[in-house]
Amino acid sequence: MHSNKYEDLLERLEGEEFEQFELGADVYQQLLAIYLYQNKLANAKLLWMRIPDKLKDDKELNQLNLLNLALQHNNYADFFRNIKYDWSERVRAPIEDLLVKQREELFNLMGSAYVSIYQQNLLELSQMSEDELKKTCTALNWSEELDGDRVILKPKYREAASSRSNDDQLLKLTEFVTFLEN
Amino acid sequence: MGSALENYVNQVRTLSASASYRELADELPESLSLLARNWSILDNVLETLDMQQHTLGVLYVLLAKLHSSSTANPEPVQLIHLMRDFVQRNNTDQLRFAVCAFYETCHLFSDFLVQKGMSVLGIRILSRAIDQIRQMDTQLTPIHADLCLLSLKAKNFSVVIPYLDADITDISTVAAECKTQQQQPNQHTDANNDAKYFLLYYYYGGMIYTALKNYERALYFFEVCITTPAMAMSHIMLEAYKKFLMVSLIVEGKIAFIPKNTQVIGRFMKPMANHYHDLVNVYANSSSEELRIIILKYSEAFTRDNNMGLAKQVATSLYKRNIQRLTKTFLTLSLSDVASRVQLSSAAEAERYILNMIKSGEIYASINQKDGMVLFKDDPEKYNSPDMFLNVQTNISQVLELVKQINKMEEEIILNPLYVKKALGSQDDDLTSQHPKTFSGDPTD
Repeated sequence: MHSNKYEDLLERLEGEEFEQFELGADVYQQLLAIYLYQNKLANAKLLWMRIPDKLKDDKELNQLNLLNLALQHNNYADFFRNIKYDWSERVRAPIEDLLVKQREELFNLMGSAYVSIYQQNLLELSQMSEDELKKTCTALNWSEELDGDRVILKPKYREAASSRSNDDQLLKLTEFVTFLEN
Repeated sequence: MGSALENYVNQVRTLSASASYRELADELPESLSLLARNWSILDNVLETLDMQQHTLGVLYVLLAKLHSSSTANPEPVQLIHLMRDFVQRNNTDQLRFAVCAFYETCHLFSDFLVQKGMSVLGIRILSRAIDQIRQMDTQLTPIHADLCLLSLKAKNFSVVIPYLDADITDISTVAAECKTQQQQPNQHTDANNDAKYFLLYYYYGGMIYTALKNYERALYFFEVCITTPAMAMSHIMLEAYKKFLMVSLIVEGKIAFIPKNTQVIGRFMKPMANHYHDLVNVYANSSSEELRIIILKYSEAFTRDNNMGLAKQVATSLYKRNIQRLTKTFLTLSLSDVASRVQLSSAAEAERYILNMIKSGEIYASINQKDGMVLFKDDPEKYNSPDMFLNVQTNISQVLELVKQINKMEEEIILNPLYVKKALGSQDDDLTSQHPKTFSGDPTD
């Protein structure tokens, strides 16, 4: 996924904040959504702090801030619970991307942090239905076991894929060698 | 009165037309009080001047407007527009003749915005002002401190971060500017504030990095602030020292190394930061319970210093540090053992801490929910992955840049006539003073 997807929009919105005297809630909603998607949590937190008090009654802004708080505290259960909301057109795209991204992150983290985890706990964390979770787990090749009457999932660690090409690396190496020779 | 202002306009127009900016810049400060007294009709004066052609004339009108803002109480929106126009359309070459007045204008402007609670609107303006007046990207100007202040007040750091990230190699001060322009520093160009703006820049900068949780860089900024050579203590340094202590606990778990040549710290600051030193001592005992008690005990002082949030971060960092310490002694441990050893309330809370630390890469472990155990692992990094290669690459290029920069600066110093003279002079001294020593110092002769 390209993380600079919303870069242009973000630049325009940030510009508006510096130039305009009175801003509506819609600018803040979009800004907050994009910051969350880009995982700029410090920016999101500061943004919430600088939103004028009179705009803080806005329902969608508050809902976004719940997501913000959940992410700040690494609280996956709250996050996935609060993201189930009827988002307006303005913020829908970044929020949907955020959901996909966080799901992926959650399962990556579970894969690296747990040898075994109760299915019930993972259901609680991811707020998925049992069928959805089963599908995801099969896709990831996780195995299941029974402990009494409770299901235990055994995650498999996945190697992260490399994103750099060999040509790039070669170029850099040449650069260093030239530096050392001079 | 009106005729006096007419004189001002005429003076600006004639001297600007004949490009005698030097002369103009020398004479304008005398008109400042006159302009400020006539604040009510300054807009008329502005109408007769052109920002591009008469940059200096407009600058002093702006300065007068800001000076009289307490009595005149101008419309903030109008003043902001005026400043914005000015930084966009002025003539930088002319501005160079009145750098000090420009700095002062920016200081007053940011004070004005802070008073009116409209800091966010000044950020772009000041950033443009810095871009205009600094001679290179790594030069620090007094306006930097204002930009940091406005950013802090507005809680908006996207503009200021690139300025803070640049490593400073040169400082523009009012004293230096007056010297190059051979002006006598007068009341309007007070050189005593140079140190203040320098310290403020590093103090505010440290606060901004702390807010963004870039603690290493914050620590560096606070260190620059407290190790500035000084005979007496500035309160900016004291506040920076308090924050320095807390941030160094978060980063290193103890007081970070402070260079020896800073007597000010030992003599003045330590006695005035008692609470903070107590905190450091308790932190060293690694007991979260004791730390919690002492933070509670001093909460009033911490709140007064606006450091309570930072104190809470210190408390969290101790839990993490204690968990990290466990990974060095144990291979496996039950979650409830972890909780009791680091004084967390429950196994579930310990699990949450560990999960977060795995996520941020602070420890390497895997949790087994089936039997409630944690398995601590070694750092799996084998330094053979492309990502690590990339990491090494960026570090090397940074070091290469640094080497280049140092070479360049060294060359500048070596070629400096003053330095050459001094270096040669002291060498002569050394030769004469060392001769007898070599004879007496060597008993075999």
